[in-house]
Amino acid sequence: MAIVKRAEERAYLTPLVGFLLLFLGFPAIVNLIYSVSTVSFQTLRSPSLSGFGNYLTVLADHGFWQAISFSMRFGILTALVECLLGLFLAIFLAPLLSKRAALMAPLMLPLMVAPAMIGLMYRLVLHEFAGPVPYYLFEWFGDSPAFLDINHAFWTLTVVETLQWTPFAFLLFYMAYVAVPLDVREAASLDGASGLKILWWIELPLMLPTLVIAFFIRFIDGFRVFDNVYALTGSGAGGSTTSLSIYIYQAFFKEGAIGKAVAASVILFLASLAVLYGLNWLAGRRRL
Amino acid sequence: MNALRWIVFAVAALAMNFPIIVTLVTSFKSARELSVNPGLWINQPTLENYLRVLTQTDRFNIYSYLWNSTVASFIGTGLAILLAFPAAYVIARSEAGKRTLLPIVVNLRAVPLIIFAIPLYMMYQWLGLLDTRLGLGLILTIVNTPLALVILVNAISDVPLELDEAAKVDGANSWRIMISIIRPVVRPALVTTFIFGFITAWNEFLFGLMLTTNKAVPMTVGASFFFAASGGGVQWGTASAVMMLGALPPVFLGLLMYRQISGSMAAGAVKG
Repeated sequence: MAIVKRAEERAYLTPLVGFLLLFLGFPAIVNLIYSVSTVSFQTLRSPSLSGFGNYLTVLADHGFWQAISFSMRFGILTALVECLLGLFLAIFLAPLLSKRAALMAPLMLPLMVAPAMIGLMYRLVLHEFAGPVPYYLFEWFGDSPAFLDINHAFWTLTVVETLQWTPFAFLLFYMAYVAVPLDVREAASLDGASGLKILWWIELPLMLPTLVIAFFIRFIDGFRVFDNVYALTGSGAGGSTTSLSIYIYQAFFKEGAIGKAVAASVILFLASLAVLYGLNWLAGRRRL
Repeated sequence: MNALRWIVFAVAALAMNFPIIVTLVTSFKSARELSVNPGLWINQPTLENYLRVLTQTDRFNIYSYLWNSTVASFIGTGLAILLAFPAAYVIARSEAGKRTLLPIVVNLRAVPLIIFAIPLYMMYQWLGLLDTRLGLGLILTIVNTPLALVILVNAISDVPLELDEAAKVDGANSWRIMISIIRPVVRPALVTTFIFGFITAWNEFLFGLMLTTNKAVPMTVGASFFFAASGGGVQWGTASAVMMLGALPPVFLGLLMYRQISGSMAAGAVKG
């Protein structure tokens, strides 16, 4: 027996669909039109179509490729480190956590703080005169690196991002780890398998779907990073920490180059669609 | 082995929370102490930074930032639930929406929202929504919708269909079933969605930066103003107090609900 009638279905779905169309569909169309138009803040309502010039400008821009390179390296590296660290913590700490659930709280705390706020906090942590890290490094070793200069900024940001988001990977892996059925473990153990063998042949394969998903989520979030990078370096150190999101933001707000910003947005949109398509394909194939 | 686990736990917890610990410690140091002692120890704890932030509101009005964040987060979370709940009910109970709407909305989580930011900025300019709490709240609704939908669809799917059918036999229509039968049963999920959404909304930065300038500036953006403060460099004690006050609401909610949140975060990621 159908609980919800056809007409009612439509009535219940319409508000959400309408809202999404208005706030995402309309902007998507505007993006497409503006990306092939000549447009400035004066001609917002009357953009004149001009072909693919904006795309060519973006693709010829050294800064755009620098931003792509930063976002790619940052996304892959942070996702990889976060997943490895998270996996280690989840498996190694599981015996401790399963008995004392309250221990989860400090491990999850960083996820509750705004990334922008974390970025600001690191400005203090790493500050030459007021920050404890340079203070102790000077105290102990007589020297401290300039964490935010052009040579170190990328690595500093990688550590900052990793420390905040490893808890996310850890959380997913821990949930997946404790969900591994006990009898499977016991059966293998009765057959004489060692702990490491069980981990490698039984637990990790069962956790694989979660591993893949966690990696993709962290990669996407790292790739589009904005908040903490903007708050910590403001894209600085010679543009070496300009992510693609920051590139778009700056093209629009700092340079007023609407066409360029919009064309870069469309490219980013297509790229994320490609990633999503790949992920969904993978999910379908592996029956995640 | 267990001792080693405790050590790893302590190191991980310390490293991950290091910026929060440093900021907390610094917020209780006087400007004088800070200039000679940037370490992790406080010799003479003081509340002067918090007092200054909360009383000297002539330049940066922290109450206004906190209020803006509160209002916009309430709008952004409440509206997301109002929109997602009926849709989730349909998706959970019939095929409509399951194949198309749900995957599209779930995938939204992975689309960098900055790509919509520029047209939204222009749209807001035309509609007069720039620098308003309502405008910010509407964007936060978009940010919150994917997870709200996933959590609610999962929760409603777990409710036995017999409950709906029994109510239907008794003559209730679907609206009545949704409001009077389903809503009370999935109340825990609604609360989790609300808390989770509120934290997400409170912590949002990009749209606050782009769409507000003065009247509707949220806490995440307002906090950065304190860094650009006086010409004599950043007043770290004051800035730390501001950051602690800004981080407190989501942290408080998060610690209150961390079990539920961790469950739905994992479910939202994996089942989506």
